[in-house]
Amino acid sequence: MYRTLLGILAAFACALLVVGLTFSAASEEAADYTFINGTEPKSLDPALITGQPEGRLADALFEGLTRRNTASLKPEPGVASAWSLSEDKRTWTFTLRPEARWSDGRPVTAHDFVWSWKRMLEPALGSEYAYLLHVIRGAEAYNLYAANATCILGPREGGEPIRQGVERLLREHPDGLPAATWEAFLSTTKAQEHLKGCPDPDVLTALSQVTGTLPSAMLRGLIGALTREGERRLSLHAEALERFGVDLGVYAQGDHTLIVELGAPTPYFLEITCFYPLYPVPRWLVRPRSSGNVIKDEDQDWFLPGTLVGNGPFRLGYWRVNGKMRLSKSPSYWNHERVRTKHVDVYPVDNVTTALNLYLTGEADWLPGYYPLELSKDLKLRPDYYAHAGLSTYFYRFNCAKKPFDDARVRQAICLALDRQEIVEHITQRGEIPATRMVPPGLAGYDSPESAIAHDPAKAKKLLAEAGYPDGRGFPEVSILHNTHDGHKKVAEYVADVLKRTLNIPIKAHNQEWQAYQDNMRLLKYDIARAGWIADYPDPNTFLDMWVTNGGNNQTGWSNALYDRIIAVCADVESFVRAGPEDTLARLKEPAKARALAAAVAAAPDAASRAEAGARLRAHLFREAEALLFQDGFPVMPLYYYVNTGLVRPWVKEFYKELVLPDGTKAQNLQDLHPFHDVWIDPEIKARERVR
Amino acid sequence: MVEALLLLGFLALIASTLWWPRPFVRLMSALLLGGIVLMFVLPGRGLVSGLLASVPVALVAWFLLPPRVHRRVCFMVLTLGLLVYVTTLLMFLAPGNPFRQEKQANEQVEAALREKYGVPPNATAFFGIYMQKLLTEGSLGPSIKNQGRTVAELILPAFPVSLALGMTALVIAAALGLFLGVRAGLKPNSLSDQGSMALAMVGISLPNFVIGALFVSVFALQLGWLPVAGWGGYRHLLLPALTLALPYAAYIARLARGGTIEVMQQDFIRTARSKGLSERAVVLKHALKGAILPVVSFLGPAAAGIFTGSFVVENLFGIPGMGQWFVKSAINRDYSVVLGAALIYCSILTVFNLLVDMAYAWLDPRIREEA
Amino acid sequence: MSSTPSPVTLSGPTPDADVGTSLAADAWRRLKRNRLAVVGLVLILLITLACFLLPVILDLDPATTEAKLGATSSSAEHLMGTDTLGRDYLARVLVGGQTSLLVGLIATLVCVIIGTLYGATAGYYGGRIDELLMRFVDFLYGIPYMFLVVLIMLMFDDAQRGNPLPVFMALGAVQWLSMARIVRGQVLALRDQEFVLAARLTGASDARIILRHILPNVLGIVIIYATLTVPAVIILESFLSFLGLGVDLSWGRLVAEAVGVINPIRSYGWLLFWPSLFLAATLFSLNFLGDGLRDAFDPKSRR
Repeated sequence: MYRTLLGILAAFACALLVVGLTFSAASEEAADYTFINGTEPKSLDPALITGQPEGRLADALFEGLTRRNTASLKPEPGVASAWSLSEDKRTWTFTLRPEARWSDGRPVTAHDFVWSWKRMLEPALGSEYAYLLHVIRGAEAYNLYAANATCILGPREGGEPIRQGVERLLREHPDGLPAATWEAFLSTTKAQEHLKGCPDPDVLTALSQVTGTLPSAMLRGLIGALTREGERRLSLHAEALERFGVDLGVYAQGDHTLIVELGAPTPYFLEITCFYPLYPVPRWLVRPRSSGNVIKDEDQDWFLPGTLVGNGPFRLGYWRVNGKMRLSKSPSYWNHERVRTKHVDVYPVDNVTTALNLYLTGEADWLPGYYPLELSKDLKLRPDYYAHAGLSTYFYRFNCAKKPFDDARVRQAICLALDRQEIVEHITQRGEIPATRMVPPGLAGYDSPESAIAHDPAKAKKLLAEAGYPDGRGFPEVSILHNTHDGHKKVAEYVADVLKRTLNIPIKAHNQEWQAYQDNMRLLKYDIARAGWIADYPDPNTFLDMWVTNGGNNQTGWSNALYDRIIAVCADVESFVRAGPEDTLARLKEPAKARALAAAVAAAPDAASRAEAGARLRAHLFREAEALLFQDGFPVMPLYYYVNTGLVRPWVKEFYKELVLPDGTKAQNLQDLHPFHDVWIDPEIKARERVR
Repeated sequence: MVEALLLLGFLALIASTLWWPRPFVRLMSALLLGGIVLMFVLPGRGLVSGLLASVPVALVAWFLLPPRVHRRVCFMVLTLGLLVYVTTLLMFLAPGNPFRQEKQANEQVEAALREKYGVPPNATAFFGIYMQKLLTEGSLGPSIKNQGRTVAELILPAFPVSLALGMTALVIAAALGLFLGVRAGLKPNSLSDQGSMALAMVGISLPNFVIGALFVSVFALQLGWLPVAGWGGYRHLLLPALTLALPYAAYIARLARGGTIEVMQQDFIRTARSKGLSERAVVLKHALKGAILPVVSFLGPAAAGIFTGSFVVENLFGIPGMGQWFVKSAINRDYSVVLGAALIYCSILTVFNLLVDMAYAWLDPRIREEA
Repeated sequence: MSSTPSPVTLSGPTPDADVGTSLAADAWRRLKRNRLAVVGLVLILLITLACFLLPVILDLDPATTEAKLGATSSSAEHLMGTDTLGRDYLARVLVGGQTSLLVGLIATLVCVIIGTLYGATAGYYGGRIDELLMRFVDFLYGIPYMFLVVLIMLMFDDAQRGNPLPVFMALGAVQWLSMARIVRGQVLALRDQEFVLAARLTGASDARIILRHILPNVLGIVIIYATLTVPAVIILESFLSFLGLGVDLSWGRLVAEAVGVINPIRSYGWLLFWPSLFLAATLFSLNFLGDGLRDAFDPKSRR
């Protein structure tokens, strides 16, 4: 018996020794800088990632034409050492530096950028940020027009081509088509999406017809217009296929000069050149995808350790899924002398309590805001805490396609019944700013419109009664959908409770895990759903172009033809002014001001001043659009603007909790970016300070 | 409809194994075992090495394995197939679509992605593709959420981690449980008995994440003796293993206690005592044996529980083990990972149960002999 | 855990016939002598009464938030303090208890019904049918239960918003396996007893025999294991809550939420303490009761 027991114990000891082998080599160097990243990154392919955690890694492993200055977050020379903008503000010329290299020694050339951006626009790739590049001439044609044309003209898989549908409707309704049927048709065929940007007046009128009946004459005219539009798109797509990357849109002139032609002056273009979707990828590792729908990209593992080649300040050391990722300084980086950390460790911890504990015990130097909500008040008092306003909005979507929220009065009533100040003061407690509009404050040149949202329970009750639910009677049972997350749950439960008490309606919170929640939002299977949106770039457009009819990010069923028009027009104000803006301007809330600004654009003496005047008109138009959202429509209920908080140890230098602009003034780090290529650890402070 | 028929067919096939004659079972089992080895070796090394590896395995199985093991093998392989199918059905029934992206909904892109990952919208079609990939290429498929990685790449490194954690937990549970249980059983209904049992009960009176969080709070945060989370040394092993072990220690303690009481009441104990053997020897030799038997039969389900309950512990302590893969991939609708994890898990569990069965059989006659 | 300790073989109706009582009364007598079990029984009854009656009597409200208040520890107005949204914690613990106990009860009921019928059928018919049915159980045993439960929960989540029904079904569906095994073992032993033979001779149908003669004798062991299944189910539900898949308000949910605030900065200790206390007390009582019942029904374990 003893021997058996001893035998078992011995076996176990051996096994434990073997187990020790699973522990990573204890003799590796400790990292200089460690931070918690929140989730395990899905991928490291700059064209395919979308989250902030992946973004931090992409910023370390790759570099774009420009890179962000750590202190001011403004674009500074990256791969491109210099650049210039043409007079008419439509053409950028970038000069690439010859010493920029990939980590395998090859030089980074303009051809790399052309290839990478073209790849991103390939429809079959499914890049979620492809739309960022649509500001380039021909890009949208390359990316979308083939699909658009097929949907308009056919043959179309799993649906009716639009033209065929209109023909059918004309046959079925010879005396005129009721608007309701038309709207339903537009919705099923996603016509708005496929006809976006169509200049044909027949199409435009038909698309914005929402009441009454459509006469057959209009439908007949529309068929012709659709044919023309479909063919136009086909030919533009063919042209783009042939010329995009060669002499249209973006192309190289030699190895070190990159020309980018924009469709219209775009003030934020330089900002997106330091945003990861526009980073180059090593094309010899990423096999080109074949055209059509079949992807033959066997090398979708090119970004894995051992094979990843990047041109950024760091290289990928090892990557243990759900374990740890190590980035090491890249000696081939053109500016490697300024990189002062040798190894950076990244922990993908998603349990917020564990993340906080790792920081508190000194195993991580930076915790970007992943901690339990309840501790906000106490953490705020620590010296290593930081908070800055964010360019992001936390809001609730309404399902405008279903009762009871198909009535704008009900939506407004809900918005008025809530005291946002209470939420930020007592529940979220990170110092957020209560929000009554989508676009957060802090965007230069943008003047927010008045909002009809405030804390006014009396008016809310009145509106609710007007809508047919006096004192909440007859109001159907609704729920607030949110994804599984403690913070969202608390806010949702609180909001539900307040609304129930104030308006006497049956409402409660309901959580779902991420996939189901996304699905239900997209399929409009919800009543109210929690959402958030972080600006992709510092411009109002990123918050406002979401709400166009059937827009991919709309997901509310709200539709307003004037709104669609304004957003479409803002993509190219100069053409809009030239084409005759009056009938649109007349429908605005402040037409006089808009007319004056449009006149200024028309009267501008040269391209530069025209572009400037155009920017002002654009800002005003955005203001009008947002007014439509928050004075009339209320498709969403903003709650607050995010505050980005975190904890960082005092020995982490050049972190920039607050930005320092080139002229020396301080500014808020709205985008919550802390690139670490300039970060260094001060050994004296580290030795001095105790970990707690 | 097709699905229901397939399910019934599968079940009928599995049921039919009961009626297979012995030599047929033997043959099938040897073939299956050889086939499995072939499946693993073939894609990497080619047909010749594959045959070189699989034929001896089949022969060994044919000659050396007892008949019950043969039956088990046939049963296991068929039920694994059924398991894959049922899991596939369940997953496809759940709402959610991993190929839809947050920002843009594009049908063309989704179709392309489905083609690439081999995940058609229909469950049975997916099952077909999956089994084909598994049998002809020995591949468990690609992961959807962790791009560029195969399921094997992701799960296999996690397996030794979970194994280490599980084994350590099992040993702690057994040691602690036996100690408390035998102590209690030797003096039944005394204060010491009730005290030990009450102590053991703590383990099953609170969910393990509560106990784990308390451990972390005391040992890691307040006292700083052990790390808060992570994996990379024996220090990281202790707290999570202890957390996992406690509930099972409690169960084992009860079993040990029951077994000890039963044994101590037997006549041969009185005989041994009257022969003049020291109390100690009596206890160690006989009571332990009596206590161990029920514990051994519990080891199978205990191991099962530990491996799965480990998800919560792994999440709490940030351990890159297999438990995480189950739930995370189910939540993310990462189909191939879910199936791969299920396959590997069930295979391990069945093998473990088989070993426990054999251990039990080996222990039992020995005890009877000695008495 | 989906397993319960090794099956105990009952020896059938005891030869204690001289006292002139039934098996049940016999067991009850023995149970009363087991101090721990009695304490357990009393405790569980008290907790159940508290959870179901007190909220009605005291008119407690677990859902009204009072954000300004935030989390406070015990006071005169809030005996157990409030949670971070200012909700009365006493109300939440008691009402949460209702759900937890119900989940435990219903899931166990599902498990008992399915498991008993299944096991009885397998044990009674024996032979090939038994092997077949038990093979199926073996197969299901091999599936990681957590995994199955998660899959089932994910499946339901859309249709039933926050409804605890799918949770009941998912948990019960996983627990019946052990029950089936145990009942089968029992029935196998009982099958050859004389009273069964007698019943068969009088021409009773199989179903009648199973239902009227065998099941009542199996009842004892079923009760024992049911009592031991309830704690297992309650803990499983708490795991689900930890993963975000559980019911909206239950002890498991409260405890999972409270665990997040165990840290050296500021501990909202009472948020963890109260539901844990109730949870532990309930599980303790049920386990001791179950143990006591098992000792009571099994003559061999007499001192």
